[in-house]
Amino acid sequence: MVSKIVLPQSTKQLSEQELQAQILQLPTELSPERELWSGIEKAISDKRQDKYDDSQKQWHKAPIAWAASVVAAVLLTWGVISPQDTLNDSFNGKFQGNINLVAAMQQTFEQQKQGMLVSYGQPNLQDLTAEMQDQFKQLSSAQVTIKKALESEPNSADLLNLLRWTQQQELDLLKQLYSPQWQSI
Amino acid sequence: MDNSKVIDAQKRFTTTVENQEELQWISLAKQGDQQAFYSLYQAYHRRIYALCWRMLADKDSAEDVCQEVFVQLWQKINNFRGESKFSTWLYSVATNVVLGHLRKHKNWLQRVFSIEDKPLEEATTMPELIDSSRPTELDKNIAKLPERARLVFVLFAVEGYRHEEIAKMLGMAVGSSKSQYHRAKSLLRQWLTNEGVCDGV
Repeated sequence: MVSKIVLPQSTKQLSEQELQAQILQLPTELSPERELWSGIEKAISDKRQDKYDDSQKQWHKAPIAWAASVVAAVLLTWGVISPQDTLNDSFNGKFQGNINLVAAMQQTFEQQKQGMLVSYGQPNLQDLTAEMQDQFKQLSSAQVTIKKALESEPNSADLLNLLRWTQQQELDLLKQLYSPQWQSI
Repeated sequence: MDNSKVIDAQKRFTTTVENQEELQWISLAKQGDQQAFYSLYQAYHRRIYALCWRMLADKDSAEDVCQEVFVQLWQKINNFRGESKFSTWLYSVATNVVLGHLRKHKNWLQRVFSIEDKPLEEATTMPELIDSSRPTELDKNIAKLPERARLVFVLFAVEGYRHEEIAKMLGMAVGSSKSQYHRAKSLLRQWLTNEGVCDGV
């Protein structure tokens, strides 16, 4: 049984004005416990204000190309060995559920991507080198292929994981290209 | 002469000198002068940390994100063209970095399944302060608010953004921003009242 706490009659709920007064009294400054400058200094020394040096990003290309290849290989294999008639009426409920899940995953991914792009100052991906743009195209193409595969294999946890993995690869690539290099401080 | 006018004049003079000094730091920082950038950091990092801490309700995350804000400031400072106050521009950069951090670090399962955020029992970690800039009781209670209510409350009531701007930033309807603000106010008034009763015992 939940007991109700009865406040003394003299106790009034904090008024709107009193709350407003407390808001105005909030300190505009708080001091971090950790010393932050040395980390910032290291990060900005490593990263000048110039545009990103694409030559420093060369090492990213191989893993992404490799990742896209793995996705392509897995999907090709999938096409050969997976049963073609798994979609039947008894699966329709789950099918609908997974379609919703795929849509939700896509929405989450788009939100994360947009959030990252906003936090990185909305860089224009068209400014990237043709090779880097190609990496993004490959990942995007892989995602389209996986989603098509999910339409015929709606209950496949592996395909869902693969979709999530390619989405994460794309986010990681954005992070590697645009995130400040200070995490190693 | 009226003393208040003298004080006003002194204040205006001090503000102008400070602004000129700040504009010089900005100009030098744009040219890559790290010492000038350090001066900007010294002038603003406590304010930015306060914003980060209030929005994130976590000391360690706030410290990390505060660093990220200044690293991004270094990279973007050439975008500041003096069309608004530097502090206003810096706050918008900081707000975007905080929101980007929240988006990146939120568990995707929470997003997919829309798990409703609940008030925190306690703010996870409060800043331990070595000077007079201590979080107030209100601060401690803001940190306990559910995430969306907390973000809306901090942006609207503390930072002075409009609901339309907040809705855009947080990807929600204007009405949702308003209702989250009322929810936050209601919880805060309730908690602060209860604490007042406890204090009086």
